[in-house]
Amino acid sequence: MKNHIAKYRKEARLSQQELADLITVSRKTISTVETNRFTPSVIIALKIARQFNTSVESLFEIEEHD
Amino acid sequence: MSSYDIKSEEKFMGQNAWFSLFMGFSLLFISTYPMLNQTSTPLLLLGTIAFLGSFFMFVIRGGFTWKMKYHLTYKDEYLNTIDTIAYKHVVLGLLFSMGGVYLFSDDLALSVSHSMMATFYLAVMSLIYGASILWQSKG
Repeated sequence: MKNHIAKYRKEARLSQQELADLITVSRKTISTVETNRFTPSVIIALKIARQFNTSVESLFEIEEHD
Repeated sequence: MSSYDIKSEEKFMGQNAWFSLFMGFSLLFISTYPMLNQTSTPLLLLGTIAFLGSFFMFVIRGGFTWKMKYHLTYKDEYLNTIDTIAYKHVVLGLLFSMGGVYLFSDDLALSVSHSMMATFYLAVMSLIYGASILWQSKG
């Protein structure tokens, strides 16, 4: 599964730490989600989507081998 | 949960990993040195001092106070996940080290006491926990 969180975050001119603070998670959570090392829970996915005023589907994308 | 709590958890996990490594090396030193040199009394004192030193370094560097509360698990999702994975690594490492000792310990059995073996296993567990947390936290 790939995601476009880094793109949305950069467009919003936010650092990983700032985004982490806004949705009350650790910076490592944001960093590892962005690099596809960690798949977040639905709650975190929804929080990120709400932060960027978008849908979860536009942030995350399922690949063929998933 | 506030972002301050999350940052405290991140800081605590980093300190905890280093403390586990210090403790692991101290215990490894205590458990193997007597076997190699056929003595234990001076080493026990040195090992205890090393352990207490690393513990107080952990407390001072971590900025903990007497009011510090103990939490069973990390509340942050990622920290909690890597903590759980670290425990799985610990169990695997313990199984492998016990298996290794089971296969190769016959020659050592006469000179190794139960307490030294218990300390050795504890050292292995601490080292693996610390190394696993640091490895998973990189980047």
